[in-house]
Amino acid sequence: MIADWSDEIVLAATILSWFIIAAGLAQTTIYLLQLVLAGYALSKRPPVARSALLWQRYGEVAPPIALLVPAYNEEVNVVESVHSMLALEYPNFEVIVVNDGSKDQTLQRLIEGFKLVKFHRPYEDALAHQPIRGLYSSPMTERLFVVDKENGGKADAQNAGINVCRAPLFCVIDGDSILEPDALMRAAQPFIDDPERTIAVGGTIRIANGSKIEAGRVREVHLPRRLLPLFQVVEYLRAFLMARLAWSSVNTLMLVSGAFGMFRRAEVVAVGGFTKGSMGEDLDLVIKLHRHMRDKKRKYRVQFIPEPVCWTEAPETLSVLARQRTRWQRGALECFFRYRAMFLNPRYGRVGFLGFGHIFIVDVLGPVAEVLGYILIPAFWLLGILSAEYLLAFTSLIFTYGVCVSVCSLILEEAELQRFPRARDLAVLTAAAVIENFGYRQLNNFWRVKGWWQFLRGNQGWGEMTRTGLGAAKK
Amino acid sequence: MWYIWDLSILLSALSLLIMLFLIARRLLRERRDSARAGQRRQLLTALIAFTEDRDRQTLKTTIFSVPPGVAIEAGFEFISLLRGEERDDVLVAFNECGLPALVGRQLERGNVAERIHAAEMLAALGSQNATASLLSALDQDRSREVRIAAAIALCDLGSLPLLGVALDKIGVAGQRSRRVIELFRRFPRTRFNELAIHASRVDAVPFIRAAAIDALARAGGFGFAAFFAGLAGDASPEVVAAALRALGLTGHADAPAILTSAMANDDWDVRAAAAESAGRLGLPELAPPLSKLLDDEVWNVRYAAANALRSFGQPGERLLRQIADSEVSRSQRTASLILAEGPAA
Repeated sequence: MIADWSDEIVLAATILSWFIIAAGLAQTTIYLLQLVLAGYALSKRPPVARSALLWQRYGEVAPPIALLVPAYNEEVNVVESVHSMLALEYPNFEVIVVNDGSKDQTLQRLIEGFKLVKFHRPYEDALAHQPIRGLYSSPMTERLFVVDKENGGKADAQNAGINVCRAPLFCVIDGDSILEPDALMRAAQPFIDDPERTIAVGGTIRIANGSKIEAGRVREVHLPRRLLPLFQVVEYLRAFLMARLAWSSVNTLMLVSGAFGMFRRAEVVAVGGFTKGSMGEDLDLVIKLHRHMRDKKRKYRVQFIPEPVCWTEAPETLSVLARQRTRWQRGALECFFRYRAMFLNPRYGRVGFLGFGHIFIVDVLGPVAEVLGYILIPAFWLLGILSAEYLLAFTSLIFTYGVCVSVCSLILEEAELQRFPRARDLAVLTAAAVIENFGYRQLNNFWRVKGWWQFLRGNQGWGEMTRTGLGAAKK
Repeated sequence: MWYIWDLSILLSALSLLIMLFLIARRLLRERRDSARAGQRRQLLTALIAFTEDRDRQTLKTTIFSVPPGVAIEAGFEFISLLRGEERDDVLVAFNECGLPALVGRQLERGNVAERIHAAEMLAALGSQNATASLLSALDQDRSREVRIAAAIALCDLGSLPLLGVALDKIGVAGQRSRRVIELFRRFPRTRFNELAIHASRVDAVPFIRAAAIDALARAGGFGFAAFFAGLAGDASPEVVAAALRALGLTGHADAPAILTSAMANDDWDVRAAAAESAGRLGLPELAPPLSKLLDDEVWNVRYAAANALRSFGQPGERLLRQIADSEVSRSQRTASLILAEGPAA
């Protein structure tokens, strides 16, 4: 059958198929490498079990931390969220809520909820941001400050918070996230163990959909009942427990999530803070930190801690998830091309080769090659241009290796951390880890290609991120 | 290309098999955990009863009836709530049941987290063999975090080797940990001279020297003031800043001259430390150099200087107002900001 086609067409199809399969192989190799590294890292450093022990061990020497909470149109949950943040278990911290020119009653709710009064607090104009309209403090607690500023976006609000805070460390979190009571203590641990070199720490973010939430705390952990957030639970396991832990173990962590990340203020100020208008401001900041420290030839560490520290609400509808994923894709592409000089540049060592290599293979090439593969390889086989070998190779890279990688990250989780409370949850997640490769993965890649297209067209919109609210999460 | 397919099938099947095994293991563990929760309750009830009736035999029977892991965990949690005679009595019972030996084994064979915890438990249990086990961990453990935990535990038991020896065993990488600060803060007064010797060692890690100075300043008092004054001329800015902050706590006859000179140091942390100490000691004669620091290029220094002036009371505030009313400059802005700090009018 192959002989019916001209040699040129067969050659072109073969080369194209080889490119697609090579991209898939490279991606799979990266994942398998990450699994090995993450497994080794986890076995070397199992987490501390009880938070009371952490307090006893680190309470005396824990450095001051400022918790920065950008808030935009968060009138529904803001007071409850801030109450839960103020109740965190950490000896020395302040909460700085930055109202980023909300159009709703966010500021008013805060003023009423905490009896806020206007306050003058000298601060350093280290980073540029939209003008601050006023600072507020609360007579109810000296830990809380509210910054009211004109709207400038999340990065702009975070930069304002960095200016106002006085602690040597700051922690950024999303206003609608829920922190574990000992989150700060766990995340501060690398800053205590290695204070001179540690400049940033990221923690595991988990999906709260389906869990029982009361008074800003996750009281009972349950899996989401809907399929879409359930698949995202598996995705987050892969992203955090496998990818981030693995790269952290070789000091190549490229992303500390904006939903929960702790940074040393001085270094962040030195790199100009968060890049305003960036689609992936968290990725952008960490890349800038790597570049700065390597340019200055300073020893440093960007670490990841596998303990769960932050809960977030995952999108439950296809449209919202699509917007989130296209935005993430644009963020990755934007950062890759903005800092492309670091790619494979020996000056940046592992960051240039492994970190940027990962972004190149997984985010730049990955979605395009995979979507091309879905269309071309079956078509070439059906038309008799390629033999079944190619089809099987592609199928195995997408589906069977996909199942293997997802299940292996679940194995890591169960073997070392055991954070899912019931055996039934594990069975459900194992099923989800298999099923997500048949449909959900393809959908995701379609959104990522859409993100590529929007990036090429210069689309800079964030899109509406509709949330149902964790406080009202399904019990 | 068949090998790609074959290997993928093999790996996927293997991963699913392992996962099935882990699910089965979890089912068994769920049953064991519920049994352990019951045993833990039983032991805690016995411990509470013991604090009232002091019936050691009944307590020992209960300890022997639960798995060692449960006894160690629940026991350690319980004794951390006790003080004085009650605690001593419970410890005697634990020692008679051989719990410290079990913890000693955990210190040798557990994972890193378990070994650190074991070191802490051994310090709390205070058995005869604890010191030997901890010294062995300080000497041989692969993890620096465990070695630091062992050193802290030994310090609590009053059995820490000479500081130089202990720090050598902790290793250079471990000497960057803030946990060493805790070790120094727990140091017995009778051995402060070791801290002082280490703080003055020019070949030691500056972070550690600064931590030693801080510990001495917090607990050593004026007795070390002359020592801190001497270190204010050290080559390491980190050590100088720590010495200046220490002087701010203890005071010294030469403090005004030392602080004035430090305010012109090239390192901003040293300048900020000098300003802070001037404020803490309340030395109005340092107002002129402090007012110069209001124009410093580093915000932290400007803020520390302004705060110091404000802490002088009326004379300092008068000076700040004068500067705030002067022509627009960095000093003027700093003075205005610091004067305005507080609730808005």
